[in-house]
Amino acid sequence: MSTYLIRRLSYMILILLAASFLIFSLYALTPGDFISGNIKLTPERKAELREIYGLSKPLMERYLTWMGNALHGDFGYSLAQQKPVLTIFNEYIWNSFLLAVVSTFLTWFIAVVIGVIAAYKQYSWFDTIVMLVIFGAMSIPSFFIGLFLIKIFAVDFHWLPPGGMTTTGSNATGWAYALEVIRHMTLPVAVMTLLGLGSLTRYFRSNMIDVLKQDYIRTARAKGLTERKVLFTHALRNALLPAITLVGFELPALFGGSLIIESIFNWPGIGQLYMKSFGLRDYPLLMGFTMFLAVLTVIGTLLSDILYRVADPRVKL
Amino acid sequence: MKKRTTVSASISILLAGTLLLSACSDNSGNGNSAANSGGATGSTNTAVNAGADNAGGASTDGAAGAIQAADLSKLPAAAKQRTDTIIVGLTDPSGAFTPYFQQSGYDGNVSSLLYTPLVLVNDKAEPIPGLAEKWEASEDGRTYTFHLRQGLKFSDGSPLTAEDVAFTWTILNDKSYDGDSQVNTLGIKGSDAYKEGKAASIEGIKIADPQTISVTLEKANAAALTTLGGDVLSKAYYGKDYKQGDTGYMKSLSTTPVGTGPYKLVKFTPGQEVRFAANENYYGDKPKTPNFIYKTSEGDTWQYLETGEVDYASFSATQENIDKLKSLGFVNIVPYTPSTYGYLQVNLEHEALKDKKVRQALTYGLDRQSIYVDAAQGAGSIANIPSSPISWAYTEEGINPYKYDLDKAKSLLDEAGWKEGAGGIREKDGKKLTIHYLGSKSKNTDIFIAVAKENYQALGVEFQPEIFADFNSLVSKVEGGDYDLVSFSTPMLTDPSDGLMQFVDGEVKGYSNPKFTELYKKGLETTDIEQRKAIYKEIYQLLNDELPVIFTSYKKSVYAYNARIENLAVSPFYGLAASLPQWSLKDVQ
Amino acid sequence: MSLAKGELAGPGKAGAKAKAAAKSSLWSDSLRRLLKNKLAVFGFAVVVFMFAVCFLGPLFSPYADNKINMALMNKAPSAKHWLGNDALGRDVLTRVLQAGRISLTVGLASMVLSVLLGGLLGIIAGYYRGVADQIIMRVADLLLTIPSLPLLFIAGALLSEWKVPPDYRMYIVMIMLAIVGWPGLARMVRGQILSLREREFMQATTVLGLRSRRKLFNHLFPNLVPLLIVIATLNIGGAILSESVLSFFGLGVTPPTPTWGNMIDAANNMIDFEKRPWLWIPPGLSIFVTVVAINIFGDGLRDVLDPKKGR
Repeated sequence: MSTYLIRRLSYMILILLAASFLIFSLYALTPGDFISGNIKLTPERKAELREIYGLSKPLMERYLTWMGNALHGDFGYSLAQQKPVLTIFNEYIWNSFLLAVVSTFLTWFIAVVIGVIAAYKQYSWFDTIVMLVIFGAMSIPSFFIGLFLIKIFAVDFHWLPPGGMTTTGSNATGWAYALEVIRHMTLPVAVMTLLGLGSLTRYFRSNMIDVLKQDYIRTARAKGLTERKVLFTHALRNALLPAITLVGFELPALFGGSLIIESIFNWPGIGQLYMKSFGLRDYPLLMGFTMFLAVLTVIGTLLSDILYRVADPRVKL
Repeated sequence: MKKRTTVSASISILLAGTLLLSACSDNSGNGNSAANSGGATGSTNTAVNAGADNAGGASTDGAAGAIQAADLSKLPAAAKQRTDTIIVGLTDPSGAFTPYFQQSGYDGNVSSLLYTPLVLVNDKAEPIPGLAEKWEASEDGRTYTFHLRQGLKFSDGSPLTAEDVAFTWTILNDKSYDGDSQVNTLGIKGSDAYKEGKAASIEGIKIADPQTISVTLEKANAAALTTLGGDVLSKAYYGKDYKQGDTGYMKSLSTTPVGTGPYKLVKFTPGQEVRFAANENYYGDKPKTPNFIYKTSEGDTWQYLETGEVDYASFSATQENIDKLKSLGFVNIVPYTPSTYGYLQVNLEHEALKDKKVRQALTYGLDRQSIYVDAAQGAGSIANIPSSPISWAYTEEGINPYKYDLDKAKSLLDEAGWKEGAGGIREKDGKKLTIHYLGSKSKNTDIFIAVAKENYQALGVEFQPEIFADFNSLVSKVEGGDYDLVSFSTPMLTDPSDGLMQFVDGEVKGYSNPKFTELYKKGLETTDIEQRKAIYKEIYQLLNDELPVIFTSYKKSVYAYNARIENLAVSPFYGLAASLPQWSLKDVQ
Repeated sequence: MSLAKGELAGPGKAGAKAKAAAKSSLWSDSLRRLLKNKLAVFGFAVVVFMFAVCFLGPLFSPYADNKINMALMNKAPSAKHWLGNDALGRDVLTRVLQAGRISLTVGLASMVLSVLLGGLLGIIAGYYRGVADQIIMRVADLLLTIPSLPLLFIAGALLSEWKVPPDYRMYIVMIMLAIVGWPGLARMVRGQILSLREREFMQATTVLGLRSRRKLFNHLFPNLVPLLIVIATLNIGGAILSESVLSFFGLGVTPPTPTWGNMIDAANNMIDFEKRPWLWIPPGLSIFVTVVAINIFGDGLRDVLDPKKGR
């Protein structure tokens, strides 16, 4: 196991290095740069500014400069916001994380419950309705669901706030603050959960159906175990095992932010910040964020692979 | 599932773009304006810009056309309870609140409340006193002298003197200055030497006494008054660590501004709100409403206005928007026209387009009424000169409106030698008449392409549209020169000469008309408004005939505000900032 | 029978012959079972109906030229225009059908491509292990870290540079998306194979001395089919929606060509949403119906092809 780990870790480093260069080049080659978007500048001033920002240097030189700084922990200043990239992350990323963590938990929980029940009662009314609703949630564009919910719950009924993370102008602290955030979080989390339920529920249901057809379940039943014991102790555990590997993939998603949700609900998250920064070609911010996600992704896949082994000891790594 | 993180993640990312960019452009009615898509216009030299939150600068057409709230009892509870605070939505302030050193127009909105310029302008762009109570220009128009008011203080209580003004002008000429202020393009005497490090100060700036300062330019420039008359930075606060050649330290001061405006910064929560309180050291009348908040809000602000979370919002002046606003009952609706114009940039280096007749034919042959007025449900009007309709220089005398006239367009093309050829497309010397159009993705671009395709087909021109993913990609392609027509709109224009900049600073390649250049210079040589009006009239008539670019449209917008606010006015050039201190809250119970 | 049909075949030549006989009846048997599943048949019928209506429908419409008519701007459904008119006065019904042509083609094509690519690579990695596995998985890791946004923009710029006619660009970009999107699929397939290959029935095939190719196609693959079907059917909805995203970024069709995605996108604002449902309900409903139908059909197919089904 340890040789496997060492080997994987060294691959990881190689991959990250290659990825950093690839990603840097991609952003640098994207048409337009930070200066071209500003229509108020004359062509000479544009040239001057490119000099000041170092954008006129060759790609390799820019990459090596960035890499050198990054290895020292200096990810530079955002071109648009004039603040250190890491500071900006800190300000936005935890908001996204909050939404992601809660909705992921809810998604998994609900998906397991519904998927298992639907599999158990396969072909029943419950199963059919559940599947239809799932498909529906998957094929409706998310901004519609968002707009729809806002219209109903916020505008028409005034039950929930229409957006933002806290009530404007409030000075709440401690519990009052937490409650405010929870109120504001309800709709975004609801939409995120609805959207994510679809595929996960199907996956669990499919696994559960397979497991329930297995011989050892028959044996368990034949042994006279209660149905509940059969379901939860034997079937569920085996059905869930393959899904454990999905956990590794949730890692980058937890910090990646959700652009659509954040935009609709005005949630101060990293997702919509990324989109804006991309439009502006704010390279330091883009590089910092993408590399951060890259690291999480690579760790995530390693985690997945290790969990495969944990889930099914027959698997040879 | 895993797909979520790869294909679906990219899908969601891209889908989000849909919402973001289209919502942005819908709100202002013109997705091509750089003030909206992408969000970075940079601050203007008059220290403020992008007035009302989404569009570029605004002008009230007086009270004419204003619709009063019908039924104030419909006011949402959230708004009623807010008796000492006004909340306005702002798309995306990022925290860079130091004027001249910010990149985004929204940050400019914030600093417009925190700072007051030396010279303000009224709704017609005529200069009026700000921090400076009077000023003179020398005979030859090259030297300006400003007289500051007595007893001016910064928000931290320290006094404001001519030293601070000198410091501001000096640091803007520093070689490491990376903002987009125009002060360093004015050609102040000695600024080149300072930039290159050969001098330790700028020769042309002279301090006569703590209240008086004068600056000498190399060449006369009437527009310089408002450029020089921008915000003033405190030397003690912003100049403490200043060493010639290095302005990097300014970044660390961007979230803790010290200014001279009616409000001071209380708290900034990134992505959520910017909180202000009345500035007790403000030189003018104390603001009537003690608290003000800019709430970060993207895209559609309808839900915020409807629930009372926000007191003021601006919308495109479509009939439907107006109807919906009326139905709310508790908002006053005021129409305004932003100080900007839309145009099609023409590639004058292509053979076919060098001919004036072809450009005119393309204008006659384009149904601008359908595209910019009808399809926009009345939220626009047609432009024929490089000026916004609210400017003091605007005129329609002697201007050809180029009404849609297919026959006239056809005959012009015939005259120019383009005869109908195979497949209905005109040809000349074996070459087909094709127009390669570039647009950036937005609802308006879609409309333009759909209508233009039909119009030009009838005219015998092959129309080849191309859409680019965002504004930046579009500009990059234009810089490469591979286009015939591109849709653009100007940034906010203050002085009439601003609207002509693109013909002079090298952006529009291939247009050189000595008569125009001469007139342009003349227009800047005098500060007498009547004289300048006549000069600009000539220029407009000239450009209207020559069409170095094809003028397209003006936007029309409305702003709607909670009727419990009184004395509300919006300046075309400063947005809310100029009149905000006057806004008071009516008692509504 | 305690052993499900596909899990283990008989040994040797005699077994092969019997197997061949079993195989042909396996397929026709499956077909019969499929036809019995009314829901699946219904799903299939709906999909065929969508295709037919979208490709043939506009041929009968008098509005197929998409001519602009400002007088009819945003009109509600009427006798002449069954689904009303859009923002430029064009007939919504005709446009929805025309849009279907592109959305359906693109959705199906990209799904097929990614499933093929991801499935194949996943199988190779999972089955052959060793160097192939390492290479494929490490490349997959690398691809997962690449942000798609700049990639798409660069693609758009290059396509513009090379003067590719705008109508073909979308297809090229979909191919690109499939090429960049296979890692996720490959990982899932590989994961499934990793556990499958250790099962007793696979060990049995080794003991029986079957060649790799036999093992792969006749034994491993059928057990993989349920997973592949689930992936494929789930993917379709995403693929159809991703086409709209591409159009949004100018990498899709140019106006006035309609797609379901860009029709929905055009109605994406509070006012159209509230007041003009005929603008977004037809395309939205079309996507919904198509995705559901395909998924129902896929489910039925999966049930039938699942070797573990004892029935």
